[in-house]
Amino acid sequence: MKLNLYEDKNISSEHVDIYYTNMRPVIRQLVDTVNSERPALPGRPADEDLDDGEEVLLDPKEIYYLDHIDRKLFAYTKNGVFRLMNTLASCEEVLWNYGFVRVSKSNIVNIYKIKQLKPDLNMKVYAYFDNGEKICINRSYKKSFSEYLQRMRRIG
Amino acid sequence: MAERVKTYLLELCCVFTFVSVVGAIVNIICGTQTNNLNVLVMFATCAIATFVLFLHRLFDNVSPLVMIIVQYLVACALVGLMLWIVSTVVSPITPRGWFEFYRSFTIPYIFLAGFYYYRVFSETKKQDKLIREIQEKKK
Repeated sequence: MKLNLYEDKNISSEHVDIYYTNMRPVIRQLVDTVNSERPALPGRPADEDLDDGEEVLLDPKEIYYLDHIDRKLFAYTKNGVFRLMNTLASCEEVLWNYGFVRVSKSNIVNIYKIKQLKPDLNMKVYAYFDNGEKICINRSYKKSFSEYLQRMRRIG
Repeated sequence: MAERVKTYLLELCCVFTFVSVVGAIVNIICGTQTNNLNVLVMFATCAIATFVLFLHRLFDNVSPLVMIIVQYLVACALVGLMLWIVSTVVSPITPRGWFEFYRSFTIPYIFLAGFYYYRVFSETKKQDKLIREIQEKKK
């Protein structure tokens, strides 16, 4: 995508024009960013006490996957694990346009962070990430996972 | 539960109709005939096979390989029970008859399990390629 930046000290109001052929996720993300609507998930470092840890805003593109354990939701990033106060279902709803798809009852993965998809000998399919971790793609979610990939390819 | 039973019966009807029609075509082509007992055994086998395949929903959290093995063992047990009932109530079945029956459902089962295994690998490869494509498009 071609990017033009114009510096003009005399303009009264800054603005952004976007020319697009169809509303792809990447365009949607640009629009959200301009409108300051790009979702940012508030979280706290998982290894700190909830009250003591400093709240950080997580950019979805930094997240590898979300894991729901013991009624707590964690986001795994390159910089560490963060506890989120959202529910898995609400995250799924907010992040579907940003490459996040549900692969089991307790996991949502970011397809842009998947390094490889590989089955093991006992036929379980795993998504391997850049950070060396892996998440199992549950059989029940196989179809919706496949449909999501097809849709992302079509609109991407 | 009632919904599950309804779905099971519906699937059983479809399977039995399909097997009956294929059996009738084979009989016409080969010039062979079947009897009432064979039809009943075929129905019982269809009921067992449909039931065993129906169990896959219970194995969501285990690996497909474990699921295939457990399903095969359950099928073996149910077929054994069916043959024992036929042998006791209707007419005795020779050891050769037992062997032939087990062989006749084991061979297609292994074939289909192998096909399933192949599908898992080929579909995963396809999805992996798709992910690469989506990631490339975003760059």
